Amino acid sequence: MIKREIIGLHKKPALIAVGASVLTLLALLLPMVSLGGKTMGGFSLAFAVKGGMSFFYPALAVLAVLCAVMGVVLFFMPSVKGVRLWSAFMALEVICVTVLLFGSKMIIDANSIFSAKFLVKNFGIGFWLILVLSYVGLWNAMNATRVSPGHIILVVLSIIWLFPIAWVVLTSLRAEPGYYVDHFIPHGFTLDNYINLFKAGSPIPFARWWTNTFIVAAVSCVLNTLIVLMTSYALSRQRFKGRQLLMKAMMVIGMFPGFMSMIAVYNILKGMGIAQNLGALILVNVASSAMGYYICKGFLDTVPKALDEAAHIDGATNFTIFYKIMIPMAKPIIIYQLMSAFIGPWGDYIFPSLLLGDKQQSYTVAIGLKWLTDQQRIESYYTQFAAGAVLVSIPIVVLFSLLQRYYVEGMSGAVKG
Amino acid sequence: MKSLLKGRRTPVKIFVEGDIFTKLSFLIWGLSNMVRGQIVKGAMYLAAEVAYIYYMVTSGVAAIGGMITLGVHEQGMELDPVQGVYVVTQGDNSMLMLLYGVVALVVTALIVVVWMTSVYSGEEARQLKLHGRKVPTIFDDITSLFDTHIVRLFLCLPLIGILVFTVTPLIYMILMAFTNYDADHQPPGHLFDWVGIDNFKTILSAGSTLGKTFMPILGWTLIWAFISTFSCYFGGTFLALLINSKGIKFKKVWRTVFVLAMAIPSFISLLVISTMLGRNGILNVLLQEWGFTSEPLPFLTNATWARGTIIVVNLWVGIPATMLMISGILMNIPPDLYESASIDGANPVQKFIKITFPYMLQVTTPYLITNFIGNINNFGVIYFLTGGGPSTLDYYKGAGKTDLLVTWLYKLTNDSNDYNLAATIGILIFIISAVFSMITYAKAGVSKNEEALQ
Repeated sequence: MIKREIIGLHKKPALIAVGASVLTLLALLLPMVSLGGKTMGGFSLAFAVKGGMSFFYPALAVLAVLCAVMGVVLFFMPSVKGVRLWSAFMALEVICVTVLLFGSKMIIDANSIFSAKFLVKNFGIGFWLILVLSYVGLWNAMNATRVSPGHIILVVLSIIWLFPIAWVVLTSLRAEPGYYVDHFIPHGFTLDNYINLFKAGSPIPFARWWTNTFIVAAVSCVLNTLIVLMTSYALSRQRFKGRQLLMKAMMVIGMFPGFMSMIAVYNILKGMGIAQNLGALILVNVASSAMGYYICKGFLDTVPKALDEAAHIDGATNFTIFYKIMIPMAKPIIIYQLMSAFIGPWGDYIFPSLLLGDKQQSYTVAIGLKWLTDQQRIESYYTQFAAGAVLVSIPIVVLFSLLQRYYVEGMSGAVKG
Repeated sequence: MKSLLKGRRTPVKIFVEGDIFTKLSFLIWGLSNMVRGQIVKGAMYLAAEVAYIYYMVTSGVAAIGGMITLGVHEQGMELDPVQGVYVVTQGDNSMLMLLYGVVALVVTALIVVVWMTSVYSGEEARQLKLHGRKVPTIFDDITSLFDTHIVRLFLCLPLIGILVFTVTPLIYMILMAFTNYDADHQPPGHLFDWVGIDNFKTILSAGSTLGKTFMPILGWTLIWAFISTFSCYFGGTFLALLINSKGIKFKKVWRTVFVLAMAIPSFISLLVISTMLGRNGILNVLLQEWGFTSEPLPFLTNATWARGTIIVVNLWVGIPATMLMISGILMNIPPDLYESASIDGANPVQKFIKITFPYMLQVTTPYLITNFIGNINNFGVIYFLTGGGPSTLDYYKGAGKTDLLVTWLYKLTNDSNDYNLAATIGILIFIISAVFSMITYAKAGVSKNEEALQ
């Protein structure tokens, strides 16, 4: 009897799981689908459907019987290993019923059992009960053996989060062109979308865009980091008149929305004669970078003052201290700063698009890719857009994964203030 | 050396106490330095003065004057008596006049600072000489830039950058809020002029179309900022707790999935997702294929749907980042807190309510408020998903139901050229952000602990 205590087995969830598995079996007898005046239960549907994905219906019936039987057996002869195996079958059952939630229309319409077209709202009470009960059963069965049922949530969430990523990757490999398709997985695979991006004479100068962005990102990330470091050093390690005032002023200035002054910046650049130029983009990126000193200063604040003082006694100048002590100490925050300044220009859209206007040769990837999803272009270039999106994401994702530790440190450093 | 200059010295005091050269150096900059042997330094101050006077005489004065009038001659057509045809006569350009005026003001402000330093520097040289100390040579001055005066070296470039590309444009735009530079007053064809606070009055009055646009957009902006901040915060916390909880296996795998979503530049995820949500987008295709709906759903085209969609998509973008941050914080909670709680017989729920949650909330309050302000200005999500649409006739020119103040501001500058309104809204956004920031600073007392950490 399950009433007996077994090491490693929680009694209450195990009992709920047994109940749920038996009820699931009973729910198969209730109306599963009612459409066009005709109602069918789980078992009759399992026999009625054939071909394609249809095997999920009989599979669900078989698994429901199996799980219920196993549940009853385990009720009388409990064992941890048995419950683990049982959970595995319940997981299969859960997968079956979930697939049926999404796939029933295809199965039922293909078999033309009913006179009308199927919609999800035609599912009967039986189906919804099975859906809920199978999840409840699995959840409790996992709880019973101390396997965290959180895994179920994580699987569902992962699918949601991976869905757009999978879509863009698959689209980039899709052989049939066009924005509107009626299938998720491509019928034909090809690398042409990537190759075409780099073909000479292609209407999309993608290689050019990519190189432009890379240059802007690389140059501005070095200069930006340098400026932020200098500013933070001055504000964190030195005490001078007007320091508090300066920090307050920067904070107040930072509260104005950046878009507001974009037009003015553009006019100034035009006055300097360097609009529609990547150099101007770098200049603007770098010029106001000191405004982002905050995180870096917060980090330098935590470096012990005793270090500076000791070096001072040894006769080091402030510059030597900055160069020989602060920079090595600040390595994590420097990496964070380099990384965020490098990533920034890849996603920067508004100002570059204003600055570069219609000069496509100078576009960065963000403007270029947005341009490709315009209403006139999306139908013909959607698959190439996807390929471009993948090519932009890969270096950033790689960089981010390699340096994730520093990123988290920088971010939680910002929180600690 | 420092002791010599102790006590507050104002230019007035310096003038009264100084010798004839000091007094003269108020007019002829750097004279005091040159007399005490700092030839190069003095010459540089003088050069700055000469350059400034030259600039003011040639264009500066005219620029400031132009800023006051904002132009008097409108561009027009005039009969050319020689050729016998109408030609365009060059009129004033109010926009450039305003810009040049602002530049002249900024240059003047800068030169006042230079003048002040020249006075102080001359006085310092005089005092040193007076007490028989060595007056630093230009070489000494340069060396000191790397040591005692490193602040000057380090802050010089950053501050010039901010001055030219942040402060100047900002002053220009703030002034613009007090003009009538809208679609009907576009230079060079038409001039615009100062109108005082009329723009604020129109936007904040309930009767006008503008007022009827501003209020709902402000309302949606605040609702959006509130919901998106807290939904991402709680979602991210939940996910972080879930992944970091004891029984979960393959922690690294799960984390990687979400980090992957976060590492992709957000404009790409947003562009991709917005193409997926269109009428013919894959999500609508699949939902019809799966039988959930027989009609395409108006994810981005119906006002209510679009608002909901934006919030949900923002969860996709925002939860992983919060998750990473919260994971970092969770690891920082002192483990002895949990140990003593365990000894007292606390269960996991109690531990969360009594230890984890209060700690997290305390540490993340500033983050929440910065995030809230960030969301008020969250341009990307709106711009890439709906572009502010669906647009409605109830609103002023082209503004849409999902527009935030900041995307509306962008539309006003970019599509309808109502720069005065855009600038006014910018100032209002600033006021809103400032109010919320002040709450944070009052609560968190930033910079209070600046020294304590070292």
